[in-house]
Amino acid sequence: MRIEVRQNILARNDEAAAANRALLASHDVTLVNLMAAPGAGKTSVIMGTIEELRSRVGIAVIEGDIASEVDSLAIEAMDIPAIQINTGGGCHLNAGMIGTALEHLDLEALDMIIIENVGNLVCPAEFDLGEESRILITSVTEGHDKPYKYPQIFRVADAVLINKVDLLPYCDFDMARFRELVLGLNPGASLFEVSCTEERGLAAWTAWLASAVGRVG
Amino acid sequence: MHEFAVTEGLLEIVQAEARKAGARKVSEVHVTIGELSTFVDRSIEFYFTELSRGTLAEGAELVFTTVEASAWCDLCDIEFHPDSAFVTCPECHSPVPVLSRGQELYVDSIEVG
Repeated sequence: MRIEVRQNILARNDEAAAANRALLASHDVTLVNLMAAPGAGKTSVIMGTIEELRSRVGIAVIEGDIASEVDSLAIEAMDIPAIQINTGGGCHLNAGMIGTALEHLDLEALDMIIIENVGNLVCPAEFDLGEESRILITSVTEGHDKPYKYPQIFRVADAVLINKVDLLPYCDFDMARFRELVLGLNPGASLFEVSCTEERGLAAWTAWLASAVGRVG
Repeated sequence: MHEFAVTEGLLEIVQAEARKAGARKVSEVHVTIGELSTFVDRSIEFYFTELSRGTLAEGAELVFTTVEASAWCDLCDIEFHPDSAFVTCPECHSPVPVLSRGQELYVDSIEVG
């Protein structure tokens, strides 16, 4: 006997994401999903963002890694609530994991939760976590050709941060070409050139983020 | 390797539908997959064999139907078949941000006994 099913395989994750979205909306909290390859500077960007915004935005961080608590300890050292999710080999976070992490945060005290997704340019692009914004961080050391190789993650990002611009003199990175490729895939994306090491460009990025979450001024 | 998570989702849907129909065994699972989805059918097959052990779907054959990708260039007003995930118009060579077809992933039907 044949049974017609016609069900999206990611439907269950999408339902959990919708539940996260509804929960956060009821507490007026914005969820930001930060994605990047390993070593692009996700944790440094988060720490720089916290420094810029903490006086006016209540922030918590959900850290996703295969293993270890290195990142969440670094965030907690800044006196910011941090939840560590260890995926134990899993290559991305899913909406159910975020739902569980949200149970451990005081949503009333928060305006924004930043998720540091597992370092990976493939899988995180496919899994909605219930976020309001998806941010992709690339770094100039990765080369300007990444949009050719990982187009999907560039398509789904609301903003793309180009980190480590202090290293541009030492890298064969064509900024104009990179911008052209990103905007070709995603004409609506906002691009920000930053250097966490030299604390450059973070003000423009955090102003965009604060306005995206409705916390300007 | 996100196919592991995808295969878990696939197996849940298959088992739920089979149980609803009172079936004892699933013999075929028909999956539709877009040509330019980021999911690899061979990977799903591999995980399915492992994850379905001891379930109603153990031993079921996965039958994939591929949806050919399609994109539309607004500048040239033409529909075309993109030859890679980085989609550019064959006429004007400008990048095309949205695929009109080719990123699907769903369970179409199952065959139960």
